[in-house]
Amino acid sequence: MSTLGAQVSDSVHFIGVFDPKIRTFDIIMKTANGSSYNSYIVRGSEGVAIMDTVKKEFSQEFFLRLESLCTYEEIKYIVLHHLEPDHSGALEELMKRAPQAKLIISGRAVMMLKGIIKEDVPFETANTGKIISLGNKTIEFLSTPFLHWPDTMSSFLHEEKVLFSGDVFGSHYYDERLFDDEVGDFSYAFKYYYEHIMRPFKQYVLQALNLYSRLDIKTIAPLHGPILRTNPQYYLKKYEEWSSEDKFRKNTFGKKMLSVFYMSSYDNTHKMAQVIMEGADTIDGIVASMYDLASLDEKNMIDLLEESDAIIVGSPTINGDAVKPAWDLLSCMAYLESQGKIGASFGSYGWTGEAPEMLHERMRWLKFRLPVKPIKIKLIPTQEELDECFMFGKEVAEITMGKMVEMEI
Amino acid sequence: MVTVILKDDNIIVHTSVGKSLREVARKSGASMEFGCRVGDCSTCIAKVIRGKELLDPINAKELLVLEAIGTQDDSLRLMCQCSVTAMEGEIEISYFF
Repeated sequence: MSTLGAQVSDSVHFIGVFDPKIRTFDIIMKTANGSSYNSYIVRGSEGVAIMDTVKKEFSQEFFLRLESLCTYEEIKYIVLHHLEPDHSGALEELMKRAPQAKLIISGRAVMMLKGIIKEDVPFETANTGKIISLGNKTIEFLSTPFLHWPDTMSSFLHEEKVLFSGDVFGSHYYDERLFDDEVGDFSYAFKYYYEHIMRPFKQYVLQALNLYSRLDIKTIAPLHGPILRTNPQYYLKKYEEWSSEDKFRKNTFGKKMLSVFYMSSYDNTHKMAQVIMEGADTIDGIVASMYDLASLDEKNMIDLLEESDAIIVGSPTINGDAVKPAWDLLSCMAYLESQGKIGASFGSYGWTGEAPEMLHERMRWLKFRLPVKPIKIKLIPTQEELDECFMFGKEVAEITMGKMVEMEI
Repeated sequence: MVTVILKDDNIIVHTSVGKSLREVARKSGASMEFGCRVGDCSTCIAKVIRGKELLDPINAKELLVLEAIGTQDDSLRLMCQCSVTAMEGEIEISYFF
């Protein structure tokens, strides 16, 4: 079928573009069969609204599709649900071609707009409840922040029950057949997208689902991948299920989980890890565990990090640095929410011993709570030093269980 | 001394007049998030549960943020814009609200 202006509902057409060759998206995501940058036009009795644009290098194709369905003079509104460059790439040019159009963005997008278009342009902000009219068509806005940028919002075309969801419910899946009942099996891409883009923002997903729940949604029009028209409730339920899953350990034991991850060259950092774990495990309500980073793959790391309330990372110092598996572990936090997690670091060293402090700083930037200073021991730990490690683990566990930390600054 | 209670992190900080809450957060190891640090991005918005009168008054940038998120609740403050202005008292802050 031709997708030049494919019809989504009575007054909505697809004017997005396809990117079949892209293989890595946003640096962190693999896109095995490409993606799409979805954009839509909504036609009412008193003008049209353009819902998002596309990546800049695809602008020509985007404007071709747009011109096949409307004139620039007819454009009353340009709505940007999310200002990331893959959706705002053609915005500046579109505003030049349709200078009378009102740009609608979320409040949180204002500073981002200034970062994208380096001059002042007129705009209006939208929060939940704001409504715009195209005569016989009504579009209501919903604030759905942090999905996956702070600025993200959604909108709902009431008369045709179409939810423009932004990146929510997206998939990096190229298929010009476009609709979920016509494309190939994109289930892996739908879940992969959730896990890599939405998983760090589960609480915000649940807030958005709560807003969506009062709508009678017939079609979900996301910004990437297939348009979901056969059973939108199925996709809503999947997001709800994935965002509200109880963590495995919490589910099983109802306790807080403290994980000690370590690498060891000469068994010294391992000895520290062992005693730190034993100290932590003495505190009621804590389940302490220990993992050798040499034998964890990335999937295990992500799952363990997500389950853990406290994460203690140990590394020897080699050539003035922590070892690569320790950095690999912390890099997995890109997929997770770290706010509220407690972090700490330790390690044995031979010459200089920078690793624990470097890991501590990295965790600070990852927004861990870091209530205790890193602990480092030169070469083989003495019994006294091991006792200190025991108390270190115990202290982190107590704080994880809610002990107040008092200090003067 | 003024006591700042960072409720969500179980941290109690005793500090003095003039200290910025950004410095309190950074030095205490709190998990409070900061973005631009100049009052534009709203990343560091938090709720001052009690003791808002011990901080400097809400400023124009903060009012813009409140307007953008559609609330007039003046207990919501940008932590990067707040400093302690009192000699003593208790301030309680929550950033998961």
